[in-house]
Amino acid sequence: MYIKTAYSTKGTSDDVIQDLQSQFGDFDTKMLLFFASSRMAPNIIGKKVQDAFPGAAVIGCTTAGEIVNGKMLKNSLVAMAFNSTAVRDVKVEVVENPKNENSVKKAFATFEGHFKVPMAELDPAAYVGLIFVDGLSGAEEKLIDKIGDLTNVNFIGGSAGDDLKFEETHVYANGKSYTNAAVLAVLKPGVPFTFIKTQSFADLGKTLTVTKANEEKREVIEFNDKPAARAYAEVLGVDVEEAPNRFMHNPVGLVIDGTPFVRSPQRIKGDSMLFYCGVTEGMELSLLESTDIINDTRKAVEQAARELGSISGIVNINCILRTLELDQKQLTDEYGKLFADYPTIGFSSYGEQFIGHINQTATMLVLK
Amino acid sequence: MAGKIKQMIDSIINQRAKDNPMLVGVIKSKLMLKGIDPNKFTAMSDDDPAIIAKLEAVMKELK
Repeated sequence: MYIKTAYSTKGTSDDVIQDLQSQFGDFDTKMLLFFASSRMAPNIIGKKVQDAFPGAAVIGCTTAGEIVNGKMLKNSLVAMAFNSTAVRDVKVEVVENPKNENSVKKAFATFEGHFKVPMAELDPAAYVGLIFVDGLSGAEEKLIDKIGDLTNVNFIGGSAGDDLKFEETHVYANGKSYTNAAVLAVLKPGVPFTFIKTQSFADLGKTLTVTKANEEKREVIEFNDKPAARAYAEVLGVDVEEAPNRFMHNPVGLVIDGTPFVRSPQRIKGDSMLFYCGVTEGMELSLLESTDIINDTRKAVEQAARELGSISGIVNINCILRTLELDQKQLTDEYGKLFADYPTIGFSSYGEQFIGHINQTATMLVLK
Repeated sequence: MAGKIKQMIDSIINQRAKDNPMLVGVIKSKLMLKGIDPNKFTAMSDDDPAIIAKLEAVMKELK
């Protein structure tokens, strides 16, 4: 076994740490990934986890719910330890003030110094990037966009949560806790790997073109040259007043090769619509309708298992809006059980990253 | 003037993907997320300065 998971729901951070240490025992941890409820002392938990695993690269973030080996939890800490067979090499960097594109370049210069290869030349079949971002920073689009400009290595991850308080989210690296920051890690896995990006939506074939937007504020002012809220309501065939009730069931998406990159509406502001991720003028978005999260996720995990032959670990970043939908439909347990046969950790996130910044999606790193 | 955008897109894809079809798809997706749909531009497309500026920013990172 070269990947091991553990979780704890103990009351104090000291008890949680002891619980983790006892579950991991003498496992030779090279890298430890953890996701913790925001109720777990976010300012000190990162240091305590690092102190408990002093030789390991430790990264993580706060959550809006956790996932581990067949269970969806709340108020817990979940962790995955990788030994040097699973992860041959890893370098962690913190990007503070992630809206500043120079901070990404600085992190990448450090990666290049470590791996002795320019990031633009690093082989995406041999290396993986992990990204965890302050979920209230609003910086994800710029960050993942800049990363995508600088390397072909796939960065996968998500935006930290805070149990739906929307006050403060934290990312953790090497014993410190950060806000307004992103943690990036470049790994050289010692085993084959693949990625899952799964979302459960059908394209209804109705297009909303962004004709006026405030991209910084994730605000669409006009779709199809009409006030955005009215245009959205019209394609749904409902009144503007009814439209917000349809947001979760009917988001919009940029459809690329038949697959949507989901943009979820947050609220109506005047005649405009605010989104949970970026929208660009000229973008042609399709109206989507939610389908079956359980079935689609099951198929995606089965496909990854077929591709790799077996699975030794899954890191699952699952959008909080998916978690809320599962909760509404009383499918939370069923979703958790999809991962019962695989060592898995994950969390409910305030946004997901893979190629771009997306919503209502699960992004997963899957290792053989 | 026309056709510069397609030329720039092709150049970015060639330099970044180096004939790897999987990477071609990823790079096209990245461009679409920037608001540039590679399939919409031909040798006859107008040289829209806003799109050209976005592509120049991408090309700058390749140097």
